[in-house]
Amino acid sequence: MIAVNIRRLAFYLVLSFAVVAGGLGWWQVVEAQQLAARQDNPQVIAARRSAERGSIFDVRGVLLASSVVVDGTSRRTYRDPAFAQVIGYASLRYGTTGVEGVWDDLLTGRADPNPLRELLDQILALRPGSKDLTLTIDQRLQDFAAAQLGDSQGAVVALDPTTGAILAMVSSPTFDATGFSGDPETAQPAWDAVLADPNNPFVDRVRQGHYTPGSIMKVLTAGAALDAGAITPQTSFPDQPGQETQGFVVDGFTVHEHDLGRIQPALWALSPALQVSSNIFFAHVGLELGAQRYLEYARRFGFCSAIRLGTAQRFLTVDPSFVSARADGDCAPFADRVEVANAAYGQAQVDVTPLQMALVAATVANDGVVPQPYVVRDLRAHAAAPSNGPSSTILEAYGGQGGHRAISSQAAAQVRAAMIDAVQGEIGRIFAGAGAVTGYGVSGVSTAGKTGTAERSGGLSPHSWFIGFAPAQDGATPAIAIAVIVEGSGDGSVLAAPIGGAVMAEWLKLLAEG
Amino acid sequence: MRAVRRPVEIRMLLPLVLLVPLGFAVAHIAVSGVLDPGPLGLALAYVGLMLGAHLALRLAGHRGDQLLLPAVATIGGIGMVMLNRLPQESLGVDLLGAHLGMAATQLLWFGIGIGAMLGVAIGFRDDGILRHHKYTWALAGALLLVLTFLFGREVNGARLWLNLGPIGFQPGEAIKLVLVIFIAGYLAEKRSLLAGASARFGPLRVPPLPYLLPMLAIFVIVMLIVVISRDLGTALLFLGIFLTMLFVATGRRSYVLIGLLLFVAGSFAAYQIFDHVRVRVDNWIDPFADPSGTGYQTVQALYAFGRGGLFGEGLGQGLPTIAGHLPIPALPTDFIFAAVAEELGLIGALALLALALVVVFRGLRTAMLARDDFSAMLAVGLTISLGLQTLIIAAGNVKLIPLTGITFPFVSYGGSSLLASFVVIGLLLAISHRSALDADAREHGS
Repeated sequence: MIAVNIRRLAFYLVLSFAVVAGGLGWWQVVEAQQLAARQDNPQVIAARRSAERGSIFDVRGVLLASSVVVDGTSRRTYRDPAFAQVIGYASLRYGTTGVEGVWDDLLTGRADPNPLRELLDQILALRPGSKDLTLTIDQRLQDFAAAQLGDSQGAVVALDPTTGAILAMVSSPTFDATGFSGDPETAQPAWDAVLADPNNPFVDRVRQGHYTPGSIMKVLTAGAALDAGAITPQTSFPDQPGQETQGFVVDGFTVHEHDLGRIQPALWALSPALQVSSNIFFAHVGLELGAQRYLEYARRFGFCSAIRLGTAQRFLTVDPSFVSARADGDCAPFADRVEVANAAYGQAQVDVTPLQMALVAATVANDGVVPQPYVVRDLRAHAAAPSNGPSSTILEAYGGQGGHRAISSQAAAQVRAAMIDAVQGEIGRIFAGAGAVTGYGVSGVSTAGKTGTAERSGGLSPHSWFIGFAPAQDGATPAIAIAVIVEGSGDGSVLAAPIGGAVMAEWLKLLAEG
Repeated sequence: MRAVRRPVEIRMLLPLVLLVPLGFAVAHIAVSGVLDPGPLGLALAYVGLMLGAHLALRLAGHRGDQLLLPAVATIGGIGMVMLNRLPQESLGVDLLGAHLGMAATQLLWFGIGIGAMLGVAIGFRDDGILRHHKYTWALAGALLLVLTFLFGREVNGARLWLNLGPIGFQPGEAIKLVLVIFIAGYLAEKRSLLAGASARFGPLRVPPLPYLLPMLAIFVIVMLIVVISRDLGTALLFLGIFLTMLFVATGRRSYVLIGLLLFVAGSFAAYQIFDHVRVRVDNWIDPFADPSGTGYQTVQALYAFGRGGLFGEGLGQGLPTIAGHLPIPALPTDFIFAAVAEELGLIGALALLALALVVVFRGLRTAMLARDDFSAMLAVGLTISLGLQTLIIAAGNVKLIPLTGITFPFVSYGGSSLLASFVVIGLLLAISHRSALDADAREHGS
């Protein structure tokens, strides 16, 4: 009797040992790779300390960041502060951010893009070598944009509207990470100096800056309403001219026009309304479109959730933009008609990142398709002498993940025409003429654009915005779409529009040079 | 007593003569980076100790199981290699003015343990002292429990230590042995009654009341241990021993089920009442919620398992130390299994589990061949005390259950545990010796 029970016990014990063995296998084989990728794994920390981290190049192979190992400790040099936020830093003491953070396992050589190689390396206990990255950014344009911003706080982000490749993304003020990316023992003073700057240089304003868009939002409002059939380019609102002076009362709340200066109110259709940037007109458009559809179109343009700057597998995260109040990281339904009317001309609860607004411009430029933005072009074999440029062996390319359609080609063309008028039209050029590339030595090219002035509460001077793209004339493929914000600098026409025009013109000139 | 040959035992022990010093040397070369075997004194002393134990059993004419000692010696050898390869300063004792490092201290305890094992295996002739005084043993155990409650030292929220002069000792290890002896005595006596009659309690079949009460008492004592020692691991071990023995005695799965349900209920209460229990359970559910705080050790252990992979990083090549200190403070005790898995890989960790299973199987075989119910129940209880302890700590390490602060038998650093484990082996050897003698007697008698 006891003997039988002991046999049964033996069976249960073997079963229990097998379960524990299964648990072992789970962590040692199935989950091993997952664990090895975690930043606080001592293996990762030790590997990073001694690894010759891969280099980072610009689109033409100009060296931007590279490492040397001195006395067993890797020291990293960053060659261009204009790239500080997008490249980020890889500090042994303060962790990794930006491209350095997202591509860390490949840069340090802990991982391999080829799963077969990765398995082989694991079995043979080999360490895959460090890899290099090339960005889509052209250093010449990046430095030009940074110089244009100068000492102002703000951001410039430009992309190829067809491919989504980022051409420049600058956040100002910037910092130099070299000082705290070497010996962890001596890193603190350089780190503390950056932290002490009240203007938060560590924040990548392109991805993490949250601003009220003001009038540049009217581009999205127009595109959405045209696509939905809520308006046509000829639609006008009979009450609008009177409301320009008396105000437009929506459910008891009065929408006021901004200071029109010497312009006389008239019955405006889309193009003149965008040229004078009539708040009243776009409040009407927003109400015609309705809360439900406004939210739906905003989502199509990329609002209400984080944007991936990269591929679905590897990307820098761009903070979500909002058209209404936030609810768990998502856009809440509009509270009432008043909020819709105000959001339609870019005030109320609207909160955007520069990259999101550059995508709005790029969508209009790209026939209504939102391009998938990316900033790392490819992964390459490690170049032993990085100052001679990157290796020609491309291990993995990241671009070309198609975008998605937000509005019809026809609606995009109609907005494009209005945006050209907003820069080059009779009235438009008074406000945004400084955004035209023709002012910066490029001839025969049309510019589409829109300025914005983001009112701020508390008597602070407003942020100035410009979004646009060029070439914009019929038959031309736009080569660059841009968003510029200069914090606290007043009207959009004062600072942002000339920077936008100059950067776009610079790019067209660089392209012409080849 | 005439000397006997123990050919299987010596054949299984001989590879250790090569393997343990080799393990010491490989780890030394990897850690120091110098191609030099390093000091092999501890390794040779360890091997000598095991060969000496074999010799003593031979000379004493011992007929006990021949696989127990080699299996235990191999498990212990892996443990010694690991402990010797870790920084020695963190643990250890001061003895007669000299400081002994961690591995040296452990070796000293191996000596004491082997001595105790031989003493019990050879000297233990009559089990009457265990069988007929079971209530005295129970009383002694209860007394130890009370002493621990009154004078115990708290470590990490659990009250597990009693100080005897300069030496700290864990009464839980002694209580465990006493508990096994008492339950074996009780069940051997009442077995038929417990297995046969039954009363109905709702949908459950339970033993009749007079027999239910003592068992409930044991259960209450186990739960008291949770309250007193505040240690879920020890409680789970004790309850597991009790329920397993009850199952073997009666063949009733339902008893085990009821007991486990009550344990879950009790654990839930402990979770509500004791902060350190709650922390451990929360860490079990999601250690990555606070990877640098309360979840730190668990997370570091998982990293160690991950780094080990299939074949391991190699002896001395793991990362149990970062910049000279242990990332897992409890590495030599609670997480030694993770360290083995890191350096010897899944293969090595499975080998360690397989060796533990060999010990369990030899123990159960001893129970099946035992000459009477008491010896059988005693052998089952002793075997299961080692087997369950291995299972609980290994399962805790791989996060199948919340981590509990009990040792991996023969591998973890710790004197009380080592001594108690060797006494268990000594008793198993004694039981199998007597059944071998009985078998001889029957053969010659017929």
